[in-house]
Amino acid sequence: MKLSKALLSAILVGVTVQATTSCGKKGDPKPKELAGQANQGEKKEPYNCPACGLG
Amino acid sequence: MDTPETPAVLAALACNLDADILSAALPLLEAGQVDALEWSFDALYWASEVPAWFTELLHAYSSEQRLLGHGVYFSLLSGRWTSEQQQWLCQLRELAQRYSFAHVTEHFGAFTGQNFHAGAPLSVPYSPVALRIGQDRLARLAEAARCPVGLENLAFAYSLDEVKRQGDFLSALLAPVNGFLILDLHNLYCQLHNFSIDYEELLGCYELDRVREIHISGGSWENSQLLPTRRIRRDTHDEAVPTEVFELLARTLPRCPNLKYVVLEQLGTSLKTEASQVQFRRDFAQMAALVQQHNHAPRSVPSAFLPRWPALPALAVQDDLLHEQQRQLSHILETATSLPEAQQRLRASVLAHSAWQIEHWEPYMLETALSIAQKWK
Repeated sequence: MKLSKALLSAILVGVTVQATTSCGKKGDPKPKELAGQANQGEKKEPYNCPACGLG
Repeated sequence: MDTPETPAVLAALACNLDADILSAALPLLEAGQVDALEWSFDALYWASEVPAWFTELLHAYSSEQRLLGHGVYFSLLSGRWTSEQQQWLCQLRELAQRYSFAHVTEHFGAFTGQNFHAGAPLSVPYSPVALRIGQDRLARLAEAARCPVGLENLAFAYSLDEVKRQGDFLSALLAPVNGFLILDLHNLYCQLHNFSIDYEELLGCYELDRVREIHISGGSWENSQLLPTRRIRRDTHDEAVPTEVFELLARTLPRCPNLKYVVLEQLGTSLKTEASQVQFRRDFAQMAALVQQHNHAPRSVPSAFLPRWPALPALAVQDDLLHEQQRQLSHILETATSLPEAQQRLRASVLAHSAWQIEHWEPYMLETALSIAQKWK
């Protein structure tokens, strides 16, 4: 399925920004920052699905 | 030829808000090769911020009826109905108004972790009580999603008997809502290896007319301390797709007349290197080539699995005994320091001499259950 060039560019920028967050401003939205995770230490990323039962 | 009346099978990616998955997938998206997108929508229920570009990506597939919702945390078969499940459904209802899902799916089983919404899902006894609970939950899911709904087969089982009976139990769960099956071929691959069962015999355990979606992925091997010569295959989604799983795909595609989607899954945590991302794209290309080859063969109009909405009682079905059994099992799996200790505690628990049939569990699979539960607790 074809996606618009504007969307593909936005994804590229989004992924790149996330990959270089070390120079990002405090408070920038970061996809991996999920509410309630701050105190969860090494809690697994929730989208890393354990759901198939032998993960 | 793909027409509105006879849609072809689509090659899809499991794609969540993960920089590594998206980096690996971007060249495929740019080339227009990803026919559909599977999104684990409940992984973002707790997100404080979802970037606009990710939402736009979801809308792009949604507008073409090619967005597949794949839930993870509903915990279909936990004995007790929880406020978390009610909230999960409310959020799904809201999402289903925002996105046009082609269908919504969940997993078979119940979670081991806290409140049964964390940890790892493991199986339940195929009992009338579990069936009533599962049918009730699926009906609630279908009512919230307002689209076809399905369930994925579970890789984990404690015994060969359980492996052989899962297909029938899934069919019984799905029938009242006219639901469909996701046949995860890596999950079957795990069972083929872990229980030394033949492919034909295993596939014969499933109602293949119900298969609307197939998953493929990679996994890993774990040594058994109990049986040093035995390795356990685990569905960890952290490696490339094995050749054997592609062979399973080639053999299984023609046997699923109502198939519509084939989905490649891999965890972002295993896609951090350029080499792994290149391999991921190779896997997708191989999968898409098999799908394309399959699409050349003539096929009849597949079932749309239009949902039925059975009348729902105001109160969700629950079972206190099943809840207590699951609570004790989870605690044992998460805290036992050895297999003998787990076995001893199980024999002294409410699971003994019950529908769980713990007396027939394979010790090496109980050992694996300990590993899984303690990994995800």
